[in-house]
Amino acid sequence: MLDNFFESLYNKVLVNIVVKRASTDIYIEIRSKSALVDSCQESFDSITLEESMVDFIKSYTKESPFFYITVLDMSDVQGAAPTCAKNRLEFYYDVHASEHKCYDNKWTYYTSKTDLYAIEKAYKKVGVDYIYSPFAMLANFFKDKVETTMAMYILIQDSFISLSVFDSGELLYAEHLDMQTSGESDDEMLSQEITPASEDDLNIQESIDLEDVDVVDDMEDLDDFGDIEDLDSLEEIDEFSEHQDIEEEFYEADEPVIENDDSSFNEDYQRYSLIHTALGHYYNDEKYESQFIENVYIADGVGVSGDLKRYLEEEMFLNVYIRHLNLPMELSELVKMELNL
Amino acid sequence: MKLSYIAARKKSAFTQELQLLLSFFTITLLMLFLTYAFLLFKNYTFVHDKNAKLMEKSDVIASIDKMKVQIEFIEKQKALSEKVYTKNTVLKDSIGNLFDLVPMRITLSRAELLHNGLILYGITPNKDVYNFMLEAPLRSIFHRTYSSFYPTQNGWLRFVSTNYIDNEELLDEE
Repeated sequence: MLDNFFESLYNKVLVNIVVKRASTDIYIEIRSKSALVDSCQESFDSITLEESMVDFIKSYTKESPFFYITVLDMSDVQGAAPTCAKNRLEFYYDVHASEHKCYDNKWTYYTSKTDLYAIEKAYKKVGVDYIYSPFAMLANFFKDKVETTMAMYILIQDSFISLSVFDSGELLYAEHLDMQTSGESDDEMLSQEITPASEDDLNIQESIDLEDVDVVDDMEDLDDFGDIEDLDSLEEIDEFSEHQDIEEEFYEADEPVIENDDSSFNEDYQRYSLIHTALGHYYNDEKYESQFIENVYIADGVGVSGDLKRYLEEEMFLNVYIRHLNLPMELSELVKMELNL
Repeated sequence: MKLSYIAARKKSAFTQELQLLLSFFTITLLMLFLTYAFLLFKNYTFVHDKNAKLMEKSDVIASIDKMKVQIEFIEKQKALSEKVYTKNTVLKDSIGNLFDLVPMRITLSRAELLHNGLILYGITPNKDVYNFMLEAPLRSIFHRTYSSFYPTQNGWLRFVSTNYIDNEELLDEE
């Protein structure tokens, strides 16, 4: 009673920490009961909690005893499973070594207990109040689409990709991809995937007896191909693009122009490769109920270049919609939801 | 804990600073109350002591008055005793002188001291011895002297000498 009274007198300080590949973003929001009082964001060139970060955080948290420090889970053994039934969870991950949360009684996201302890230990100087999964953030960010649209939803972080497939609020598939550790192995895997296929193609080509082919009959087929080429005109592409939501067009219009330097090109290609591989898992793994994916919604937390969109559209024939998000700010939204602010 | 893996730490408005502040105020108030209580107690004891001292003072004043009366009485007694002592000394000297006056040949058998006189009973060989050796000095001391004689069986004379000092002189002496 007395505590509630005092709580209403104090502002709430929300400290949101997102660890990136080589830096840490800290977004601080000071709120009264429901209004934003102040906010600021700072980036530190370290992935561990240094004195400068502690000073920065404490300079705000000392203003109120009601401060909440939130960290986005950066564990590389996290993920999500399409069920909340405890007896079925063990098919997807090691339930004894993991901490999990059920989302809307529909699906579960989990992470390593060890990594949670590691986060709490790493931020012992300032303490940690909430640790959120990127999947929870993704579901919350695309709440309007997840509930209604069957699509693949991707959260792109600096060094992680959280990929999930939802059909009307039901999770079909999810995978958390680490760009740093899986980069090389994926490249190898891709080369392995491509090599036998090309060999098979060669074998098929070898097995075709060119003498058996009737050139005259095939000419009509070739004409048909010409018709197909007509269909694949610019007008059709324009019509196709008109199917996109006005809202999504707005997001796309806001897309920043990213310079296509070599590093971003490589990263986008790496991201594309990981998404491609994950999609392969989704279609091939019998554990998951696979449905054909047409749309991809990307929550872009790093500012990807147009290459990724192009790869996904041209190579995988997906409709790609990109929404930009500020990860620490989005983390703050989760906290506000948690605190009913 | 809706979406977070962990629950938030318990938040309380009673921070260390606030606790310190409240402790400080509490201790200050406590000290003030203790000081107030101490002063009340001291005031009570002071009033109590004051009343006791006032009563004591009144008792002492009463005893002083009583003692003054006693001192006055004692002084009077002292004066009286000194007077008596002086009188006795005078009397003693007088008796001594009286007995010194009595010659060897006269024997006193009885002496009566009166307020304003002296009566001597004794034996003298004859009147002359008495008249010259005892009556003469008695006359120099007393204003009036009366002597009477009667003979004893052995020829000596028993005498009774009655001597008076007049009252006016006695009053003057007093």
